[in-house]
Amino acid sequence: MKRIMTRSLILWIVTFAFLAGTVFLGVRVVLYSGDWVQQPFNGHMASANGLGKAGKIYDRNALTLAYSENDERYYADDETTREALLHVVGDEGMNISTAIQSRYRTNLSGYNFALGVGLPESLNGTANSDLTLTADADVCRAAYSAMNGHKGACVVYNYRTGEVLCDISAPSYDPADPPTITEDNESEYDGVYLDNVVSSTFTPGSVFKIITAAAAIDNIPDIYDQSFTCYGSLDVEGNPITCEYAHGTQSFSEAFANSCNCAFGQIALQVGEAKMKETAEKLGFNGSDFKMSDIPVATSHYDATGAGENYLAWSGIGQYEDLANPMLMAMICSAVANGGTATSPYILTDDGGLLDKLNISVNKSSDIEMMSPDTASKVKELMRGAAEGYAWRGVDLAGLSFCAKTGTAEVGEDKEATAWFVGFIDDPSHPYAFAAVVVEGGYGIDAASPVVEAAISELVN
Amino acid sequence: MNLQMILDIATIALRALLPIYALVIVYQCFASARRHRRPEKPLVTLEILETGQQIPVLFWENSIGRSKGSDIRVSDVSVSRDHCVFLRRKEGWFISDIGSKFGTYVNGERTEGRTKVILDDEITIGHTTLVLKRGEEYQERLRPSWFFSKASDKGALKPYKLMILITFFHIFMAVEACFSNEIQDLSPLYICGAMEIVMWTFFCISSYALNRVNFELEALACFMSGMGIMLLVRQVLRSAIVQLVAMTIGMILFAVIVKLIEDPDRVNKWRLWIMIASVGLLAVNLVFGKVTNGAANWINIGGISVQPSEFVKVAFIFVGASALDKLQTKRNFFEFIAFSAICVGALALMGDFGTALIFFATFLLIAFMRSGDFKTVILALAAAAFAVFIVLSIKPYVAERFSAWGHVWEHTQDSGGYQQVRVMTYMASGGLIGVGVGNGYLKYVFASESDLVFGLVAEEMGVIVAFTLAAAIIALAFYSRAITTRSRSSFYAISACCAAGLMVIQAALNIFGITDILPLTGVTLPFLSAGGSSMISCWGLLAFIKAADERTYAAKRRAPANALPQRKEVAV
Repeated sequence: MKRIMTRSLILWIVTFAFLAGTVFLGVRVVLYSGDWVQQPFNGHMASANGLGKAGKIYDRNALTLAYSENDERYYADDETTREALLHVVGDEGMNISTAIQSRYRTNLSGYNFALGVGLPESLNGTANSDLTLTADADVCRAAYSAMNGHKGACVVYNYRTGEVLCDISAPSYDPADPPTITEDNESEYDGVYLDNVVSSTFTPGSVFKIITAAAAIDNIPDIYDQSFTCYGSLDVEGNPITCEYAHGTQSFSEAFANSCNCAFGQIALQVGEAKMKETAEKLGFNGSDFKMSDIPVATSHYDATGAGENYLAWSGIGQYEDLANPMLMAMICSAVANGGTATSPYILTDDGGLLDKLNISVNKSSDIEMMSPDTASKVKELMRGAAEGYAWRGVDLAGLSFCAKTGTAEVGEDKEATAWFVGFIDDPSHPYAFAAVVVEGGYGIDAASPVVEAAISELVN
Repeated sequence: MNLQMILDIATIALRALLPIYALVIVYQCFASARRHRRPEKPLVTLEILETGQQIPVLFWENSIGRSKGSDIRVSDVSVSRDHCVFLRRKEGWFISDIGSKFGTYVNGERTEGRTKVILDDEITIGHTTLVLKRGEEYQERLRPSWFFSKASDKGALKPYKLMILITFFHIFMAVEACFSNEIQDLSPLYICGAMEIVMWTFFCISSYALNRVNFELEALACFMSGMGIMLLVRQVLRSAIVQLVAMTIGMILFAVIVKLIEDPDRVNKWRLWIMIASVGLLAVNLVFGKVTNGAANWINIGGISVQPSEFVKVAFIFVGASALDKLQTKRNFFEFIAFSAICVGALALMGDFGTALIFFATFLLIAFMRSGDFKTVILALAAAAFAVFIVLSIKPYVAERFSAWGHVWEHTQDSGGYQQVRVMTYMASGGLIGVGVGNGYLKYVFASESDLVFGLVAEEMGVIVAFTLAAAIIALAFYSRAITTRSRSSFYAISACCAAGLMVIQAALNIFGITDILPLTGVTLPFLSAGGSSMISCWGLLAFIKAADERTYAAKRRAPANALPQRKEVAV
């Protein structure tokens, strides 16, 4: 019997294995319940994909952007508004993963871990779980219209508070009548499920000169004493870096305002690949975990390590393998405006602790150190100088004093260039940082600045 | 705050209480199982005549020999490694030689077969003589088991109080089901009423007609079976009634098996017949079985579908276990191996891989408990791996049935992951306290009442109740292992551990299969799953655990130590 008793300990082994499995299952239940519950086949939330009883979504001026009635989900009255805010609000198909209705669907539909979906309607609070955005529907609509059917994105946010006022992404569609995407029309809807503001990256072109300039200010002590002569083309390792025309002899500031590729190619070479990368990373390239509310911002890319002199020069003017995210560019501008400290953006207002109640973690505006106050003020000077040139060429941001940089990124393959316009308004009563990108738009000043102009003029007036 | 809100709050409060209630019931069942143990004293003692050394006899069956693992170890080169077995039966103490080299002598006479021994008899093995003495004459204190409570501990709940607790739990479930979202009628209460009558009748028979002292195992089984039945009411009312009838039959089978195996030697006589009957049943199944969901494990007898493999489970435990002196014989072991091979093979042929796996795992458990030999287990595993390899190369489509394992979320709309993802979604929907009996959506998914019942419990009654059920099965296993220390025969020790092991393995395959931790094999959750055959076999398996508890048959033998007749009395 003693032997059998010893051997019967094998039952313990079996039982402990079962116990371990049960604990493992328990952990999975705790970790993943929120994902498991959000399924289109879930009978508890079948109507309107679980949004049939969800609360309303308002813009900052209490305009209703989405609401539920009789188990159906409805959106704003105006079609352009619906399309402009699609990527922020979302649809019922949960195609846009960063949109409010996808991200907080469980919260909006009255789910929580402890009570599941079993809470009776009278108690579950979905009736009161209306969310208010920081975004302004009119501003978004104006910016979206100004995209003129191009692909791209525009973000405008308050660099003092972090409130995102405009977040539009194109192409878009009407959430009240979502398209069926087939092989025939998929090119038209390419990237339609991405909010380009947070989820995409583009070749930055000349807007990257802001980063190169910051690197130069930090690393080349006599940068302001140097002069750069542009003959329209600069040979680096047997390959030319070209400008539209010869800018002649310029100071550092003039080269920035002229967006002189020859000068900035040389500056990048002077800074060197290591210091260029260091500055870019301080400004959020290569894997910072910035967020808009709790929506992750796509990682921007800069690395010319070991690429050789020619590519290093190209990388300094935002070509080579550089990729920049619009939200990050706006954040860098906010750092310039704020004396070196970027404000992290958010898109949901938290009135009355509602977000807490719905278990939505908000990224309360926190500060991100990007550059020294001295560097910030110098970059600001550069951007102000550039903006004066743009103003002279007709760019008008509601008559306000602004600092900016355009970009016209070559993407090759006979495609039109990607147009950029990034910057901020240097006015305490209108503290807005912005970034607009228009894919295949051509010149930044022609294609991207009108989008920002439309948004800002709507915002200021 | 309107009336609707007050009602809703009351419903939620009731629902939140049920998980705590379930925990209390399961805890009480095991608190009760840990009570009523006889004090830690040897049954009798054996005194070595030459040295006067006293050896406590702790078990009902004791191996005597020179080997280290012997219960009574005699360091004497003329004693065989496994010399004889000293065992206790209703009639008294016996010594049984198990093929020793020089034989076993009682009072100088060489024994053949089991030989009765009474007080002061001299058992001679090799050059050593052991004298049978009373247990009281042994003075040293014995180490108590961790599982059983000490006499000084707080008393457990009386069985009838435990039953009242369980009854109210079922009534709460019934009331909740009466007010379910879709159907509102009183049928849950009727079923509940009928069920409680069955359970209380069973309780009364057990306590008063059969004089059984404890009832906690039966109470736990009643609790789980009843929960399964109450969940069924709002799915398929007819199945609930079938399930109730099956529970009644299960209870009868339980009582019959407990009675039948009262004498562990009697079992041995039937062993062959049980094997033949089981093989016959499986053969009938193979020939006449109808294919349901890829497995031909059902036969239809006069309009009633039965699953023979469920009953063979009970037989399997029967055949696997034996009394200690029979256990050692090679024939006994080979019979068992052959029987196992036939069972597993037949089930694999039927396509019921889940049950085949349960049988195989149980076979490993039994084989290890009998032989203590890792080599046997590894050999069996190797053979099984080879068999699986052969099956997969001949029938590659078998593997496809399990191809979705690990990534079921990519198969939400096909059979590979359809059931699993719905189980997880609805488990999450239920939260900690559930959406209420009858309000779930998992019940519309195929096999929700049988294979997926764990998910149904989680959805309708909450994750806490579901995990409490898993805990109950874990506790059952610990209990089964703990009582083997006082089992009346190795037959009980092996059968109880393996019956509990079988349930644990089955529960693991069920719970982890439907939650995509293991491949989905489609086996039932003990006591909870709908299915008459499954319910009956679970009660049958429980009988082995019940029988292994020394207290089960205690009512008839109030003072076991006095059962020893003394030679003087016999002489007069």
